[in-house]
Amino acid sequence: MLKIILPTIMLIPLTWLSKNSMVWINTTAHSFMITLLGLPLLNQFNDNSLNMSLTYFSDSLSTPLLMLSMWLLPLMIIASQFHLTKESYTRKKLYITMLIMLQIFLIMTFTATELIFFYILFEATLVPTLIIITRWGGQTERLNAGLYFLFYTLVGSLPLLIALIYTQNTTGSLNILLTQHWSKPLAESWSNNLLWLACMMAFMVKMPLYGLHLWLPKAHVEAPIAGSMVLAAVLLKLGGYGMLRITVMLNPTTSSMAYPFMMLSLWGMIMTSSICLRQTDLKSLIAYSSVSHMALVIVAIMIQTPWSYMGATALMIAHGLTSSMLFCLANSNYERIHSRTMILARGLQTILPLMAAWWLAASLTNLALPPSINLIGELFVVMSTFSWSSLSIVLMGINITITALYSLYMLIMTQRGKQTPHINNLPPSYTRENTLMAMHLLPLLLLSMNPKIILGTLY
Amino acid sequence: MNPFALIIIMLTVVLGTLIVMTSSHWLMVWIGFEMNMLAIIPILMKKYNPRSMEACTKYFLTQATASMLLMLAITINLVHSGQWSTMKPLDPTASIVMTLAMAMKLGLAPFHFWVPEVAQGIQLSSGLILLTWQKLAPMSILYQISPTINPTLILTLSILSVAVGGWGGLNQTQLRKIMAYSSIAHMGWMTAAMMFSPMMALLNLTVYIVLTTTTLVMFMMNSTTTTLSLSHTWNKTPLLTTAILATLLSLGGLPPLSGFLPKWMIIQELTKNDNIILPTFMVIMALLNLFFYMRLTYSTSLTTFPSTNNMKLKWQLNPIKTTTYLPPLIILSTLILPLSPMLILLE
Repeated sequence: MLKIILPTIMLIPLTWLSKNSMVWINTTAHSFMITLLGLPLLNQFNDNSLNMSLTYFSDSLSTPLLMLSMWLLPLMIIASQFHLTKESYTRKKLYITMLIMLQIFLIMTFTATELIFFYILFEATLVPTLIIITRWGGQTERLNAGLYFLFYTLVGSLPLLIALIYTQNTTGSLNILLTQHWSKPLAESWSNNLLWLACMMAFMVKMPLYGLHLWLPKAHVEAPIAGSMVLAAVLLKLGGYGMLRITVMLNPTTSSMAYPFMMLSLWGMIMTSSICLRQTDLKSLIAYSSVSHMALVIVAIMIQTPWSYMGATALMIAHGLTSSMLFCLANSNYERIHSRTMILARGLQTILPLMAAWWLAASLTNLALPPSINLIGELFVVMSTFSWSSLSIVLMGINITITALYSLYMLIMTQRGKQTPHINNLPPSYTRENTLMAMHLLPLLLLSMNPKIILGTLY
Repeated sequence: MNPFALIIIMLTVVLGTLIVMTSSHWLMVWIGFEMNMLAIIPILMKKYNPRSMEACTKYFLTQATASMLLMLAITINLVHSGQWSTMKPLDPTASIVMTLAMAMKLGLAPFHFWVPEVAQGIQLSSGLILLTWQKLAPMSILYQISPTINPTLILTLSILSVAVGGWGGLNQTQLRKIMAYSSIAHMGWMTAAMMFSPMMALLNLTVYIVLTTTTLVMFMMNSTTTTLSLSHTWNKTPLLTTAILATLLSLGGLPPLSGFLPKWMIIQELTKNDNIILPTFMVIMALLNLFFYMRLTYSTSLTTFPSTNNMKLKWQLNPIKTTTYLPPLIILSTLILPLSPMLILLE
């Protein structure tokens, strides 16, 4: 993994030592090259993992997430170019350095072998994200957003540290490769229930679970575009990844402890989807849709069947790309009219026709249109939940319908209909923006051809 | 102060602490504490105003009481065991009284009331010595008596300190008081570790001293004692704002910075001894600490705090203040977490 980590670390001197006119070009180009370096990792074994060293390994679960985060760095840099034009070069380089630091921690998190190493890096991703949201966000609410983000995550994850150290003392090792073969069933006791809670709450807050999701709309809305992209696409999936890794050690307690969380997720996905129908703020709509999709992932991980794990992994990757694309589209709106209110810029299809095509593609993938990988994820999750309990099909069906409703609402509101009179003189789409959308959509479409690589370890 | 007098006084302070740390006779320990306390009074009185006098008086009264309690403990130990040697285990009663004496010297709750008030009344450089060097002597005594410490007592002191340090600092805007409450909370962590693994308490002390030194030297560089004046740092020394951000986050115990290392090690030692509820409680209270450090970083580095237009026109002249060792201190206070495997050398 050093072949990926060291070049990413070296992106920081690249940023600071580039000529001022070449900063964006250098960082974007080199981060694309690093992504290229990571592609061979996709050649995974069916039932084994690529073990690079004692500290790093990559298996079919972590590799797609790793590729997603590596792919996202150049896209984040491309997306940030506009809103940083007025800043001094030092501040631009500082911003890019924050993104690169976040990327370093993410790469190490997804490939960590030992769970405490994973924990330290999981927490470490909070610091650059906090700085990006609080320092470079747009409105005064960003301060509150940063605090909510930091403290919700920390209160959830500090008990995880204690649970991990306790598990290390009792089982002797926290190496993921070992625990998947070694783990003994946990006895039924109150303290083991508390241990389960301590392990899972960190990831529940991160996902986020419906009752603990208050930080997400704040953080997503107040963050600048790169912050929103990385939050929606990768940081939420850290929670899912952590849950997938740690449930290996927590059997059979999961089958009894999972009920409240499943209930919260099943109800929460309908609630958050319904709230999307009433949103005026475009970014807030996309943020709540993230909560709804992640609730599906939580349900899938809680029922612990092979199909649900495949669905969860596929849904995480698909949602990452889709959500990031939607945020980029919302940002392209924001850059033109400096407002996030949806109704202020309507009928954009006549003014920016190519962007309307991207809006259509993003909305269609968001509502899980076949044959996209979003559909594969959602379908697997719905089917496995149906096998867990037949009644859940009602809830899932309502959710799918409401998802379709708000995706189409968002599309029709912004693109179709008569234009609002004041937007006739908007600047046309930049090539940069079109590239950004294409770069999001291409992996999404290509993965529909071979979804095997994102279906995770149980394929 | 007259340089000769200053040198003699500083040497006496250092000598006092060294006598405490290295003696094998309990009376010499008491003498060391007295030397230390008497010599530091002039240092705390660098400025002649009533506030400094009040701070010095409060410091003197509490430390003298603590020294008397120490003498009581030594006498009880003499009566029960018949010898003055520090190498032999302490009598249990003497151990309780001595722990209380050290708690008063360190500023552990419920004996913490003097720390914010003394820290507030003195110069930043004196505050630096108060919060860092003065902790060495009492911690070394606690380290020496750690095999015989009453666990109930030390746990009570630790839990109360962590809670007081967290909640007390929430209402403060004066930086010296914030650092005082931070010291109370960190002392709480150290005494909790002392119960099971004195080595980790020393690790916490070392990292805490490095972090506090860095923070206070940065405050001295800006000559700032309030949150408001700290928020002007972006205008005077923009590079320092990043350093203040990193150091304050490290003081709050956020991975991957150095401040996380002692907390992690202490949690490890506690859980190894089947103590799970205590670290959970301590770690949640440490989040309160993190909150008021975050508030400081919000006003300093993460926003351009509202300031008058006069403030924004400051001339950036060549620096006159000598801030010794600030770059290495900043590096030590943020980047030593990857060196944690070297702790194996302590075994």
